[in-house]
Amino acid sequence: MASLNLGENIEIDTELIKKAYSLAVKAHSKSSEKAYNVEESRRSSDPVIFSFSGCWSENGWYDGEPFGVTEINLPLLFPSLRSIGVNENALVNKAFLQRFVDKILGNSDFDREVQKAVKKNKQILFIGHSSGGSIANLATIWFLEKYIKPEYNYKISPSSPLCVTFGCPLTGNHIFSHALRRENWSRYFIHFVMRYDIVPRILLAPISSIKLEFQKVLQFLNAKSVNLAHASIDNFDASNFYMKVMKNASSVASHAACNLMGNTNLLLETVSNFIPLSPYKPFGTYVFCTGNGKLVILRNPDAVLQLLFFSSQLCREEECTDIAQRSLQQHFGYDNELQDCFQMLNEVHLEPLEQLPLSSDTTSSDIATINSALNDLGLSTRARLCLCAAGELEKRKIGNKESIDLKKPDIEKAMKYLEEDYQLNCRHRDLGCYDAFKLQETSKDFDANVKRLELAGIWDEIIEMLKRYELPDAFEGLRDWVLLGTRYRRLVEPLDIANYYRHLKNEDTGAYMIRGRPKRYRFTQRWREHAERMPAESSGESCFWAKVEELRIKISSQGFEPIKEEVLLLEAHVQNWINLGELSGDVLLEKSTFKKWWEDLPREHKLTSCIKDLKVRKAVTEKKQILFTGHSIGGSIANLATIWFLEKYLRSDSPDNYKISPSSPLCVTFGCPLTGNHIFSHALRRENWARYFIHFVMRYDIIPRILLAPVSSILLEFQRVLQFLNENP
Amino acid sequence: MGTETSSFETSEMLATFLASTPLLSESWRLCNISNTSTPRGFLAEQIGDVGYIAFSGIQTVGNSEEPSCRNLVPLMESDGNALFIALHRLNEGEEPVMVHAGLLQLFLSMHSSTSFQNQMLALKEKSKSIVITGHSLGGTIATLCTLWLLSYFQSISSPLQVLCITFGSPMLGNESLSKAVLRERWGGNFCNVVSKHDIMPRMLFAPQASFTQLHFLLQYWHLSMNCPRFGMLAQLHDEDKAEIFRLVLCHLEVIAQAGEEVAKSLFWPLGSYLFCSEEGAICVDNAVSVIKMMHLLLMTGCPYSCVEDHLKYGDYVEKVSLQYLNQESFMQADIPESSYESGVAISLQSLGIYSQETVARPVKDCLKTARRMGLRPNLNAAKLAVSLAKINPYRAQIEWYKASCDESDDHMGYYDCFKLRDNSKKGAKVNMNRHKLASFWNNVIKMLDNNELPYDFNRRAKWVNTSQFYKLLVEPLDIAEYYRTGMHRDKGHYLKHGRERRYEIFDRWWRERKVSVDENNKRSKLASLTQDSCFWARVEEAREWLDNIRSESDPRKLAFLWENINAFEKYARKLVDNMEVSRDVLLKNSSYNLWVEEWSKLKSQLKKFSPQFPDYVNGEVVP
Repeated sequence: MASLNLGENIEIDTELIKKAYSLAVKAHSKSSEKAYNVEESRRSSDPVIFSFSGCWSENGWYDGEPFGVTEINLPLLFPSLRSIGVNENALVNKAFLQRFVDKILGNSDFDREVQKAVKKNKQILFIGHSSGGSIANLATIWFLEKYIKPEYNYKISPSSPLCVTFGCPLTGNHIFSHALRRENWSRYFIHFVMRYDIVPRILLAPISSIKLEFQKVLQFLNAKSVNLAHASIDNFDASNFYMKVMKNASSVASHAACNLMGNTNLLLETVSNFIPLSPYKPFGTYVFCTGNGKLVILRNPDAVLQLLFFSSQLCREEECTDIAQRSLQQHFGYDNELQDCFQMLNEVHLEPLEQLPLSSDTTSSDIATINSALNDLGLSTRARLCLCAAGELEKRKIGNKESIDLKKPDIEKAMKYLEEDYQLNCRHRDLGCYDAFKLQETSKDFDANVKRLELAGIWDEIIEMLKRYELPDAFEGLRDWVLLGTRYRRLVEPLDIANYYRHLKNEDTGAYMIRGRPKRYRFTQRWREHAERMPAESSGESCFWAKVEELRIKISSQGFEPIKEEVLLLEAHVQNWINLGELSGDVLLEKSTFKKWWEDLPREHKLTSCIKDLKVRKAVTEKKQILFTGHSIGGSIANLATIWFLEKYLRSDSPDNYKISPSSPLCVTFGCPLTGNHIFSHALRRENWARYFIHFVMRYDIIPRILLAPVSSILLEFQRVLQFLNENP
Repeated sequence: MGTETSSFETSEMLATFLASTPLLSESWRLCNISNTSTPRGFLAEQIGDVGYIAFSGIQTVGNSEEPSCRNLVPLMESDGNALFIALHRLNEGEEPVMVHAGLLQLFLSMHSSTSFQNQMLALKEKSKSIVITGHSLGGTIATLCTLWLLSYFQSISSPLQVLCITFGSPMLGNESLSKAVLRERWGGNFCNVVSKHDIMPRMLFAPQASFTQLHFLLQYWHLSMNCPRFGMLAQLHDEDKAEIFRLVLCHLEVIAQAGEEVAKSLFWPLGSYLFCSEEGAICVDNAVSVIKMMHLLLMTGCPYSCVEDHLKYGDYVEKVSLQYLNQESFMQADIPESSYESGVAISLQSLGIYSQETVARPVKDCLKTARRMGLRPNLNAAKLAVSLAKINPYRAQIEWYKASCDESDDHMGYYDCFKLRDNSKKGAKVNMNRHKLASFWNNVIKMLDNNELPYDFNRRAKWVNTSQFYKLLVEPLDIAEYYRTGMHRDKGHYLKHGRERRYEIFDRWWRERKVSVDENNKRSKLASLTQDSCFWARVEEAREWLDNIRSESDPRKLAFLWENINAFEKYARKLVDNMEVSRDVLLKNSSYNLWVEEWSKLKSQLKKFSPQFPDYVNGEVVP
């Protein structure tokens, strides 16, 4: 059984691809009622195949001028399809998205059948020909969002889906492509494209430029999808259509190439404002069929875009009509072509792009195969240069990533200073870092400010690169950077806020959150929110102080009542953040701005406030000993609370540990039932924690013994005993 | 981009992009129509969202029909209606913006015609973007028209886009014009199509071309444009062509070889140049390279082609517009290995230059320079951002110094502390930091002067804000140092004689920045830095006036001093009332506070002896 190696550990059985194509074409002719079909073979190792039909109306391609795209704003369906830091949603073809949401997701059978396959642990294949391929793309992304949790490994688990398309039009814009690469999902998409097939190129042209011919082309394709043999199109229309699409493709490709190659002429930008440039960008693995049995495989989106244009250029002017006809006929020629290709299985990976031979008559033997593949696609030196430029750009992005990785030790060092020396110093002054920094009383505060500025320099550089997409697409999903970013944000943003309000910049420019918050914090907050699948704007713990400052200003000018809601919200957040350890307990110190402000709130409010009992943290920070105690089951809860405390504050590797060394706790219980098994006991003794627990037991008190009996043996009486105990507290 | 020499040559790719759009061919189509149907005028047309306006190449300049000679005029003086207001701003030390007098006159008279006004209005209403185009002299008028529209749109913050496309047009103005356009970030709005040998765009580099020859040349072109057959009627002799060719080539050579050092030419290229040949086109935007390229390409021509090429833009545009369909085939057998060199080879081929030709080498060098010049500003800006992050701690140290002085027991504030500092380490360190920051910012200014930074550098919020903050914090120390070392006795007061140029430049950046926040929100506390960085210099002058007033007897001079002191008092009080001063100003022993005390003492003395100063006490000057 032969299989096609697509790189990145993905191989597909060639028989499966052939079967997929025939199913994909068959999907067109099935009743128009059902927009998809499922095929499940009896063999349990075979995947379940969902195939999607195409659409042959102009509105089904271009819903709106000029390119029929819409912003994906479906955070529940497609939370990942956006650029995280810059906070921009991807664009997608509106008609395809509509079709997927209405016809596929709107059909409750679809979700059910997918779930069925998942439960059986079967691999799912989403396939489509022509615009059916775009629907398959969206279905696959929907599946990935729903079933595949973000993982940071590079192996495909058995149930990863695959999406295989044939002559599929472009589907989304550069952010779409960026997001799929960031999530490491683009490897699940395999697109087969015939050298001249016009369909994958159509959306590079605005509808206004091809309006005349597009209708006829769609009629032709529709007729062909029903009956392969009996369909024809006028040479004149075919040539015009081909030339117009190619002219627009040329604009898109040369514009992209100018950017890839780093052109700095301002004219480039001006002219792009005068003409509609297609926003679409490829993603996934592209397999180009050269027409003579070779398969050319590449996955760099910039390179694919260039190849889409260059590979269907003419060799000679005279062949225009011929190629124009072929550009339409080939859309249905995948079966024969793939048959030939799979017999030879002559696949060429265009890698590394930046080392492609520039001249078509390169003789050097080690790149002879690549060179002949490039010649088979008709790639001129100019075309090869564009592919190189795409490769160079990717290489540069990786280089940028390496250079900022080298700065990690500097970041760690500066943060360590703030985390250890500076916090300790503040603690000696009975101040939290925020207040100490805002007062700027000692030279330590000055040192901290220098560290803050050093860190800002490094992070701002990273953010600038992200804004210009100069780092690898995967960057914003990298676990170590997300974590480092979160730590940095929690540690240093309070200092920035302190600096902002210390210098009264709020009076010069406005509130910190609106006018002053640096991008380095906005970006890193979004990283975490995305990585942990949190709702947008929900990880604002690092802006705590800015909220306090603004509320202070508001209260002093408007009084308490008008902003009561905001205060309540902040308190709820504080409680939550402190319990999760996301906000340092030092905000509750007696001299803290927050504490002082809170103490001045109306008494009635304070009595019912949810943070009035927020004591554990406070006790810890004030180095008081904590006693956990309980009677009966309360004792068991006290046991667990004590263990939680020990885990959180006393374990040597706990993140809180080095900040404060709290006094040991004590747990005292009275008539407490047994709580854990022998391993529970063993573990506590191993950690040398057993000594913190003291249980008082009366000689005949039955409660500590109850759990020695299985519930079945005491079922009858136990109910009454509990009742009795409850009535006689 | 890490290196100065990037690995790709893109001048040809940019030309390919331009050629793939409908802009070039539509523009030429209209120019052509305008040449035949609306001589001495223009025509307008709407295509989709884009409005086109094309100026006919047939224009009569002045009385002599003579576009040459040195009749450049300062734009500001001839621009009575302030049509080009954005170009009136000047960098000090720069020559004023000059443009061709005859062509300016032509445009101004067109602009004042009602037909022009009406058609422009209609175009502005219907279009999202406007292309202004013209062949030959029409193109230069199109350039003026574009400058006017850009100025106008900027003044009313219109989102309309403007692009100027000229075909074989003579230069319009001097280097200052070109720089002013770049400063406004309009460089990308001008695309000048110049064919390989066309002599017209190069004509003005030769100031003394003979009147009669030119006259015949223009006549020939005008007749041919209007109707190709008529060209024969012009009396253009081969000797005349040869003479003009020789003259222009010879002058161009001198200018091209002078390069950047001395701008010997009166006229200077503006915007981008699209050089086209039978084989393709390339696009270059660096002015020096444009001049060099004009020279090198003309060298490959002959007297005949340099005249005929002016009429062949239709062929060139059609050719490049259809290029996209075919794979380019390489004439040259050996393609260089490196991606940069092969890009250069493609560019040369697009210009129809064979690698064996003698100009091939210099053309390559020229492309290389253009590329480097294009990349440098952005690279420099990125480097500056990094070094800014590195000097930030020095600034932080000064902030720290200010805070500790403002809080110390002597109640003097950082200005007076620094001015009266002893030889302590602390003061010396701050002084050192002051020097380091000054040299960083002086370097920024120097780079800006030398065009080594992006042209819109001084509009970027990051730099405007940082420089302002620097100025507010550090300029008081500069003033303190100035008076501490007694420089004012040698050179005169700081404000007039001692202020560093960088601060004046930062003042201007700050004034010209885009303000989005409403500025009337009132301060509730004293500003952290005094908002007028020259405040202390004014205090120093006021102190001197106060000293002088005691010893002065000349009533005229006294009146003058009174007035000054009153003005200062009013100014300072307003700052204080608006809380635009930082706390150090109001400290007990600050120079300002001491001055206020002394001044009120004097005033109360004055009241006692009021008869001695009847004029002033009864007058309006003293409250």
